[in-house]
Amino acid sequence: MSSTDKTVLASAGFHGDVLTLVKRIGVRMQNYEYQHRKPMSTPACAQMLATMLYGKRFFPYYTYNILAGLDADGKGCVFSYDPVGSYEREHYRAAGTASALLQPFLDNQARALARIPDYIGRKNQQGVVFEPISKERAMTIIKDVFTSAAERDIYTGDAVDIRIVTKDGLEEHRFPLRCD
Amino acid sequence: MFMTRSEYDRGVNTFSPEGRIFQVEYANEAIKLGATAIGIQTNEGVIIAVEKRVTSPLMEPESVPKIFEIDAHLACAMSGLNADARTLIERARVEAQNYWFTYNEPMSVESVTQSVCNLAMQFGEGSDRESGSMSRPFGVALLFAGIDKEGSSIKPQLFHADPSGTFVSYLAKAIGSGSEGAQTALQDAYDKAMSLADAEKLALQTLKQVMEEQITAKNIEVATVKVNEETNMPQFKKYTHEEREEALTRNGVTTAQAATASE
Repeated sequence: MSSTDKTVLASAGFHGDVLTLVKRIGVRMQNYEYQHRKPMSTPACAQMLATMLYGKRFFPYYTYNILAGLDADGKGCVFSYDPVGSYEREHYRAAGTASALLQPFLDNQARALARIPDYIGRKNQQGVVFEPISKERAMTIIKDVFTSAAERDIYTGDAVDIRIVTKDGLEEHRFPLRCD
Repeated sequence: MFMTRSEYDRGVNTFSPEGRIFQVEYANEAIKLGATAIGIQTNEGVIIAVEKRVTSPLMEPESVPKIFEIDAHLACAMSGLNADARTLIERARVEAQNYWFTYNEPMSVESVTQSVCNLAMQFGEGSDRESGSMSRPFGVALLFAGIDKEGSSIKPQLFHADPSGTFVSYLAKAIGSGSEGAQTALQDAYDKAMSLADAEKLALQTLKQVMEEQITAKNIEVATVKVNEETNMPQFKKYTHEEREEALTRNGVTTAQAATASE
């Protein structure tokens, strides 16, 4: 996991590629700030990451990425990727070893205030009331899904690093999981 | 022109003992022979107006473009050597598209200007002919007019770039042969709170003042960059011949009869 105060990146996969990718992104963001005299926005960083990944289309970074932060309007944004640069802006996404377990859990539980309410969250349920998701609720869901993943996925464990991006800055948390 | 004319005005790689690079100064002189161009920045957007010298009645004025679209949010007006301008315009367009490709947002006006200036100051680099770089400074001055968008707020921008690769931001700027008179006129009449319509009037009146020929819809070019109300995005728009005629009459620069008489 790597971050500035406005943009955070969660990167899973081959740790060597993760380290290199994160370092390259850091260099690009620093140079961008020198050249353009402004910090790189999260959507700009999202497109840049896509081009960086696609640039190694035929010898890819073995990484699964989720980029998050605030957009130009100050709204939260999440961008998810495949290893070769397909990307999409979404409301929530799970990646990495337990992603196949977590994503349906999020589909079921995350009640994001969606622009397309019948598509996002509380999927396949009837009589659902959609409402904006609070920070506290999001935190609870995140802890719950990771606890579940630690139960069923043998590669998930030890702890979860959590970063929260708000207009006031970055919050960092660490949530311990089963250690067996 | 200069007190000490010597061997120092030949090479672009050598300072004179007084600390000048004459070829760059001569390039600035070349611009003072060029047609006048004016740019004015307002809170609504930016307007640029350029004189076009129609040297023969058989010449097609449309074939000598003076204002170029760099990107949807960014226009460029030139004064000086047309051929040199094309090289710089090409760089600006490529840089703007590359930026959009990498970051999925329009490049800022300042960054485009910066990248063009990086090319403008590469003259004299590379000793061999094959290097492909310019062996002399570009004999052209450019006005970059555009709008930067930050979230829902818009920031109109106007930059002036000269042959030395220096660029400066201006509220209103004139370049070319009539630039001295025009700049004074702009200084006297510019108001930070003026509308784009006011700026149009000021630009055309100032251009009329400093042009040697009678101003008509045929011997000027006008363009604006302002927010398109439908898309809510900055939009470059070049005036058509009819729009130029309208603008000249609307602002009392020429009478309706004079405009038709010049046809």
